Amino acid sequence: MKIKERISELQDFYLLSTRGLLGAVRKPFYFKDMIEQMDYAGAGSFIIIILVSLFIGMALSLQLAAELSSLGLKMYTGKIVGISIIREIGPVAAALVFAGRVGSGMASELGSMILGHQIDSLRVFGVDPIKKLVTPRILSSIVMLPALTIIGDVVSLFGGYYIAVFVSHQSGTFYWSSIRDVLTFENVFAGAAKPFIFGYLIACISCYMGFSTKGGSKGLRTSTTRAVVVSIVMIIVSDFILTRILLYVLGFSV
Amino acid sequence: MIVFDKVWFSYGLHHVLKDVSFTISENERVAILGESGEGKTTILKLILGLIRPDAGKIIIDGEDISNKSEDELRKVRMKFSIVFQEGALFDSLNVKENVAFCLREYSKLSEDEIDHKVRELLRIVGVEHAIELMPDELSGGMHRRVAIARSLAACEPKMFLYDEATTGLDPVNADIICKLILDLSKNGRGLIIVTHKIFDAVKIAKRFIFLKDGIILFDGDKDDLLHSTIPEIQIYLNEVNFS
Ligand SMILES: Nc1ncnc2c1ncn2[C@@H]1O[C@H](COP(=O)(O)OP(=O)(O)OP(=O)(O)O)[C@@H](O)[C@H]1O
Ligand SMILES: [Mg+2]
Repeated sequence: MKIKERISELQDFYLLSTRGLLGAVRKPFYFKDMIEQMDYAGAGSFIIIILVSLFIGMALSLQLAAELSSLGLKMYTGKIVGISIIREIGPVAAALVFAGRVGSGMASELGSMILGHQIDSLRVFGVDPIKKLVTPRILSSIVMLPALTIIGDVVSLFGGYYIAVFVSHQSGTFYWSSIRDVLTFENVFAGAAKPFIFGYLIACISCYMGFSTKGGSKGLRTSTTRAVVVSIVMIIVSDFILTRILLYVLGFSV
Repeated sequence: MIVFDKVWFSYGLHHVLKDVSFTISENERVAILGESGEGKTTILKLILGLIRPDAGKIIIDGEDISNKSEDELRKVRMKFSIVFQEGALFDSLNVKENVAFCLREYSKLSEDEIDHKVRELLRIVGVEHAIELMPDELSGGMHRRVAIARSLAACEPKMFLYDEATTGLDPVNADIICKLILDLSKNGRGLIIVTHKIFDAVKIAKRFIFLKDGIILFDGDKDDLLHSTIPEIQIYLNEVNFS
C-alpha cells in the first residue's frame, strides 16, 4: 500500500511538472500572473541574494587567502574564488536561498488555496489550476533564478575582490585578470545551465507539495516544510549529477 | 439532466455514499437534506466531477462523467454555477476582482463594463458597499453573498448549486438569500440546494431528498415530506412546526 501510494505520488508529480511546463505553449496564457510571480520571485529576492552572495564571496576569499598565503600561493586566490563561485557555489547558494524564500511561499500559498477550496472554485469556473497557478510559477522560476544567480555571482566576485585587495593586500588588477581567465565558455556554461534546472525543480516541487496539502494548518506546515526540505535535497543531489554530466560533456578530465 | 446510478463513494475506509441513485431534471428545484457529515457536499462535488465515484455512474446530460479527463469535465462544469459551503472566495483578490474573475476569464468586456456589471451583481446581493474590501474583512454573511454574486457572473449556467447558502445567517439575511435564490431560477432554471435547515428548504425547493447513513431515506415532494412518519425527518419537521 505504501509503495503503491509513493508510486502514484511520483506519477502525480511527473504529470504536474510536464503539464506545468507544457502550459507555457498552450492557450490560455496568464501573463499577468506570470509578471506578478516574477516580481515576487525575482525582484523580491534581489536584496537577500545580494546580501548572501556578498558574504559568501568574502568568506570564501578569506579562507582561500589564508590557506594559500601559508603556501605562498596567494596569487591563486582570484582564480579559485572565480571557479568555485561561477561553477558551483553561486548557482547552489542562489538556489538554496530561492527554495527557502520562494519555494516555501509557493507551497504555503497553494496549500492555503487548497484548504480554502479556492482551487475547487477555479476548477468549477473552468480554469485549469495547473495552467493558471503552476505554469506562471515554473516560468518565473526558470527565468528569475538564472538572473539572480548571475547577479549573485557578480556580487560574490566583488566580495572576493574586497577581501583579496583590502585584507589580503593582493593586486586588484591581477585579481580581475585571473577572474577574466576563468570566464571561459566551459566555466560559464557549467554555471549557467544549472539554475534553469534548479528553478524548474524548485517550482515543481513546491507547487506539488502545496497542491497535496491536507489537514488544516498543521498540514500546511508539513507541506511547506516538505517543499523546502525536498527542494534543498534535490538541489544538492541534482547539482552533483549535473556537475558530473557537464564536466563530461564539456570534456574536463577529472 | 443529472442521473446518479448506484453511486458509491468513500474517503479511505469511510463509506460516505452507499448505492445512491436519483434523477434530477433540468428545471427541478431540489433540496438535499441530511445531518452534518452525511455526504451532502460530497454529492455536489461528484456532480461537478471534482471527485470521482468508487462505483456507479454519474450521468450529466447523457454523458457519463465518472471517467472523463479534466479537460472534458470543464465543459460539464460550465453547465453549473456553485456556491461552496465556505464561499471559497479568492483570498488574495478583493471583492470586486473576485466577482469579476469569470468576466475577465471568459468575456471580452471593457474595464468600464466589468466595473458596471460587478456593481450590478453586488447590488443584487446587497453588498455593494463592500466592493473594495478583501475577503477576510467580510462577515460570514457578506462572504456568502459575495460568493453568490461571483457565481452569478459565471457564464449562463443551466443549473445552480448552493451548498448551505443560508446556514449561519440571521433570519433576515437568510430570507433575503432565499428570495434571491428563488428569483434567480424564476425563468425555469433548476437548482439544488444543500442544507440542514428544512425551514429554508421548503421555501425554495419542490422536491426533497433526505440522506441518512449513505443512503437515500426519503425522496418526495413537500406534502410527502410534511406528512412523513420517518423519525429522523420528524425531528427536522419540528423546526418548521415551531416557526
Ligand atoms: N477531504 C476529505 N477527506 C476525508 N474525509 C472527508 C473529506 N471531506 C469530507 N469527508 C467526510 O465525508 C463525510 C461527508 O462529508 P460532507 O462534506 O459531504 O458532509 P455534509 O453532508 O456536507 O456535512 P455538512 O452539513 O456539515 O456540510 C464526512 O463524514 C466527512 O468526515
Ligand atoms: Mg457540507
